[in-house]
Amino acid sequence: MITNHKSVTTALAIIGLLITGTSCERGHDDTGTVYAPNMYESVGYEPYRQIRPNTINVRENGLNMRLPAQGTVARPNYHTTFNEGAFKTTDLMMYNIPADSIGIAERVLTNPIQDSEKTLAEGQVLYTRYCSHCHGATGKGDGPVAAQYKGVPNYSADAYKTMNDGHVFHVITHGKGRMWPHGSQITPEDRWKIVQYVHKLQQG
Amino acid sequence: MLINSKNIVHKMSRFYKLCVAIVLSLTLLVSSSQVKAQDAAAGGAPAADAAAPAGGGDVEKGKSLFTNNCAQCHAVTAEKVVGPGLKGIEERAPSKDWLHKWIRNSSALIASGDAYANQVFNANGKVQMSSFPNLSDADIDGILAYVDQASKPAAVASVAGADNTKNAGGAGGAGPSTGGPSELFTFVLVALLIVMLLVLGVLLAIVTILSKAVTPATADGTLAASSFGQRLKTGLSDAFNNPTLRSIVIWLFLLVVTKATIDGAYSVGVQQGYAPKQPIAYSHKLHAGQYKIDCNYCHTGAQKGKSATIPSANICMNCHGVIKKESPEIQKIYTAIEKNQPIEWVRVHNLPDLAYFNHAQHVNVGNVACQTCHGEIEKMEVVEQRSSLTMGWCIDCHRRTEVNTKDNAYYDKLVALHKKESKDALKVANIGGLECSKCHY
Repeated sequence: MITNHKSVTTALAIIGLLITGTSCERGHDDTGTVYAPNMYESVGYEPYRQIRPNTINVRENGLNMRLPAQGTVARPNYHTTFNEGAFKTTDLMMYNIPADSIGIAERVLTNPIQDSEKTLAEGQVLYTRYCSHCHGATGKGDGPVAAQYKGVPNYSADAYKTMNDGHVFHVITHGKGRMWPHGSQITPEDRWKIVQYVHKLQQG
Repeated sequence: MLINSKNIVHKMSRFYKLCVAIVLSLTLLVSSSQVKAQDAAAGGAPAADAAAPAGGGDVEKGKSLFTNNCAQCHAVTAEKVVGPGLKGIEERAPSKDWLHKWIRNSSALIASGDAYANQVFNANGKVQMSSFPNLSDADIDGILAYVDQASKPAAVASVAGADNTKNAGGAGGAGPSTGGPSELFTFVLVALLIVMLLVLGVLLAIVTILSKAVTPATADGTLAASSFGQRLKTGLSDAFNNPTLRSIVIWLFLLVVTKATIDGAYSVGVQQGYAPKQPIAYSHKLHAGQYKIDCNYCHTGAQKGKSATIPSANICMNCHGVIKKESPEIQKIYTAIEKNQPIEWVRVHNLPDLAYFNHAQHVNVGNVACQTCHGEIEKMEVVEQRSSLTMGWCIDCHRRTEVNTKDNAYYDKLVALHKKESKDALKVANIGGLECSKCHY
């Protein structure tokens, strides 16, 4: 009788262990155990990681992220000298021409960055990153997104191949027609490099 | 009995392999036939065009002019893209001469006070059409001839094309899951075989005990007086008292428990495989995979700063301000913008605060591809943490990775010093990649 009791207990124990063993498997929605959470969670305010509501910024839903104060100048704009030697220029890279004044941009603006193979290569990299999925690798308006998006022009078409520095820069910054503004994603300096590369694509 | 059943198991595994092979070849066949069908459909449209020539202009030249200059904003069907659909344009417009003027310089025509020009301009949201002063009358006639001819068969072809892409998409989705017998597949098969054998052994033991209990006959042929329950008890206690069987069970149990304990201890704080459900069902597979949108387009910080940044809604709106606005998932972005409430994305890669990591340092300076750490994001429907993000994983990469010192004067002295001490290339570990304070401070 005692042996029987033992065997039943062992069997139950094994089944129990098997169940606990399998139930410990972590689901896709579970981060699992953390040994020392106070070493993992930041004490300071992190922009992209927030465990509890921010008690100071209660007005904006307790977010850690805050909007910069009015009139704040973005860090990239502290870089003010471009080109080298005789072509050295100073440019604040501040762009204040309003969205609806593309005519002014066409008349006033010229590319402050000197054409060179290096900047053209950089322009190509930036173009591939920010433009080519719509405008296509060769600027024919045949990127993979364009088929879905529609209305993407061909840079070398009659109406587009003569567009100048200011026009292209303004369109990247504020958008035009179906294209939406990309000024928030690309710094002015990078935009000018893209302008250089676009001029190359305009030649077909 | 045991040998027989083993044979059966072997046969079963062969049968499985056969089944898998058949399924694989079937999927391949189906997908290739779909590709063929697509090719046929794609090839069909131009053939139909050539079969029905219309008078008035050079259709071939018109087609190339149309694709270069007009197709971006106008469809040959009645569908409005940016400008109105061009189906039946010649019947609609006052005259061919009017069309010539309009295409060369629409704004001048509007300014001249032409009634139909102003009507068209106002009906299409007062969007200025680009001027094409370089197109001759013959060019425009060619374009019009092409539009006239392409408007009907093209409509049918485009519907068929859409169907085909849908089918191809479905087949593509099923493709990777049946991607040939990989190492993992064989491993799983062998593991299954072992488990099945073990189960078989256990079942045999149970069957023996039970059959002894059920059959009342004993060895000497006389009927045992004991009941079924008692015989079962003796059978079980016999098995339990068998020292060999008992030690096998105990050892197996100990091994399994030890393995589980060690695995469990090592997985504390490791979130590999974490793939939380996000508030919006955004698919990297669609955006980065199918549409080939560069990672940097949305994660603008990856090249410039510590965080790769989560795109703000204005970047979504660069495309979704125009397309797929009606989708319920995209409507969530609109709601968030209207209510001025942030979209609460769930962070997938939770590097502990005790370790410092900088994206720009790795992506921009080190030229590390996103996929090196994040896995094949462009194939993920839901983003998952592929790498373990443990310290060992970091250190391992720092030991293996060579520093790109080419054309970079900053490294000249370091390379010279390193060459005195070692014959190997300059690795990240040699320039402080293993220093504690590099990541922990």
